[in-house]
Amino acid sequence: MNYQFDFRFLEGSFGALLDGLRVTIELAVASNLMGLVLGFALCLLAMSRWTIVRWPAQLFIEFFRCTPALLQIVWFFYCVPMMVDVFIDPILMGVLALGLNLTAFNAEAYRAGVQAVPKEHLDACVALGLKPWQRTMYVVLPQALRTAMPVLMTNGIGSLQQSALVAIVAVADLMYVGKSLATEAYRPLETYTVVALIYFALSLPIAKLVHVIERRQDLAVKR
Amino acid sequence: MQLDFSAVFPYWLVLLKGLALTIAFTGSCAVIGSLAGFVLSLLRMSPSRWMKAATTLYVEFFRGTPLLIQLFWVFFCFPVVFHLPLPPYVSVVISLTLYMAAITSETFRGTLKSISAEQHDACIALSLSPQAKILYVIFPQALLRAIPPLLSNVVSLFKESALISSVGVADLMFVGQNISNSTAKPVEFLTTVAIIYFLVAFPLTRLVGVVEMRLLRRYAY
Amino acid sequence: MLSSQTMIAQHDVPPAVVDFSPSTSGEFVQFSDVYKSYGENLVVMDHMNLDMREDDRLVIIGPSGSGKSSLLRVMMGLEGIQGGQIGFQGKPYIFGADAGRAKRIDAKLQKQIGMVFQHYTLFPHLSVLGNLILAPVKVGGLSKAEATERARLYLARLGLESKLHAYPSQLSGGQKQRVAIARALMLEPKLMLFDEVTSALDPEMVIEVQNVMLRLAEQKMAMIIVTHDMHFARDIATRVVFCASGKIVEQGAPADMFKCPKQARTREFLEKVLHLD
Repeated sequence: MNYQFDFRFLEGSFGALLDGLRVTIELAVASNLMGLVLGFALCLLAMSRWTIVRWPAQLFIEFFRCTPALLQIVWFFYCVPMMVDVFIDPILMGVLALGLNLTAFNAEAYRAGVQAVPKEHLDACVALGLKPWQRTMYVVLPQALRTAMPVLMTNGIGSLQQSALVAIVAVADLMYVGKSLATEAYRPLETYTVVALIYFALSLPIAKLVHVIERRQDLAVKR
Repeated sequence: MQLDFSAVFPYWLVLLKGLALTIAFTGSCAVIGSLAGFVLSLLRMSPSRWMKAATTLYVEFFRGTPLLIQLFWVFFCFPVVFHLPLPPYVSVVISLTLYMAAITSETFRGTLKSISAEQHDACIALSLSPQAKILYVIFPQALLRAIPPLLSNVVSLFKESALISSVGVADLMFVGQNISNSTAKPVEFLTTVAIIYFLVAFPLTRLVGVVEMRLLRRYAY
Repeated sequence: MLSSQTMIAQHDVPPAVVDFSPSTSGEFVQFSDVYKSYGENLVVMDHMNLDMREDDRLVIIGPSGSGKSSLLRVMMGLEGIQGGQIGFQGKPYIFGADAGRAKRIDAKLQKQIGMVFQHYTLFPHLSVLGNLILAPVKVGGLSKAEATERARLYLARLGLESKLHAYPSQLSGGQKQRVAIARALMLEPKLMLFDEVTSALDPEMVIEVQNVMLRLAEQKMAMIIVTHDMHFARDIATRVVFCASGKIVEQGAPADMFKCPKQARTREFLEKVLHLD
């Protein structure tokens, strides 16, 4: 390999990369907050007794889970401005698009958590005379959340990776900055490697944390 | 705002061709990637610490970085590193396959772990050699149990394949975006493209559930 | 190897081991000073000594965590021991880790022991026939035809011949356990170990499995059984062994043990368990 690695040119662009990283983290954190909260609400709607509430919720979930994230982002960026004659900050649009996507996946995770609670526990609640809302608050929710947590965190890592897609619609996140640098300086190798390593460094600790939590849960179940 | 979905009809053939390309890429990378993922999960169980570390790093890396950057890296950097010009579709196949291999190796690893310890005990009680145990008891069950999550992985790959449009491959996403730009009707065309993706992905996800119930209930408890 | 204690007088008998059967010594199985613990705090076998004769059927009873299952698992070679030695058929079989030997278990002897577990553990991806012939063909050197013949025979004896090609998911719990017993018997073991094989079954199915074990007893198969079912223990055992805290507290003929246990600990346990008497 006769390629001369030259990372020095990146030194000058350090500031730009940092700005991009900041945008990426903003996108990831904001969309995650949205996804965690709304996902829970959506899960409740999707499990509701009233068909008129349940069906649209389930349709929403299925649609966002069965279409590409890139398409969702592009749709948002090109169609929403056409439909709503208001200027929305690109980063906010990115947060919305990523957030809605995450909401759908998280709703599934919450649902799986709720359904994993053994029916015996529900029976025991009835036998103990707990009212339905007490049953939900004190027995179903804690267990459902504990089961759902690894999946929610994995989804969170996924949304970090997906945030890179906003570069395609020219939002100045880390990926976009990297791409600009790479094309300007004709040095794709160094730039993309560094950008990839930054993403990796961001997601690895969370992935490890998920491992630890899962292992602890396995041990707890065994007992 | 005026929506005119009839503008989509003249383009149905072009969209179909895009879909065909998407399916072609998804299918071939799914097959090669799954095989590679299987080999990878085997390697990960090897006693050699170096091998275990290397394969774990590979899997964590491809799961911990955006697919977009993996695509870009292969597309832009491979030709530089290997001094070979790489047509876009080759780099796309390489990238998707590498990604799929990482994902499926995690799937296989999960199914191997899910086989209860008592199965291993039963093999010892029957004096089966470790090789016989792995060949006749563990692997068949692991492969059977892996089918539903593997199908899920394929559906995921189908959705992620939309990214190949960003390096100029004329898949469904690329075609849809192109037409929507040239006709200035993004809502109609992008929505249509979304519906096409949905019409393929949704039945497949339902199929996963059916397979899980029928297959696993009969052959894997 | 001295491992049984003969009774001299009530007061001289050390509280740890008391035996009442004509002879608790034997060379078929010999546990000598076997020590096993998980970590520092959980001692499951505390310098255990136990003998068994070829025509013995031992039933191990005792509270949970007393080392009953560990005894079976160690005997099958599923887990190791830290100290002591186990002899089988008069030959050294398992050595403790402290003996410093590279080979801690004699695999040839291990092959002559069969075990049935609490939770079926039939291989779900193989039919009943597949389950039965896997080991004889792969390990026992039988041809597929020979193994199939033997499988048919055993299943016929159990009344399950019609299930030859069925899959485990299509069988009831009792049927699965009976197939599991047949699978272990296919290798013609000299000793059979049963680890609470009826604990997970519905009551109706418990009887059918126990009948199979009783028939095996008639054919003089040597067995070590762990069970909660005291009535069954009384029917099948030649000797009942009461374990607690990793020690053998008391052992003896079933009639003696259940009617007049000598140790307070034994009495306490049996009172809780035998309330129907």
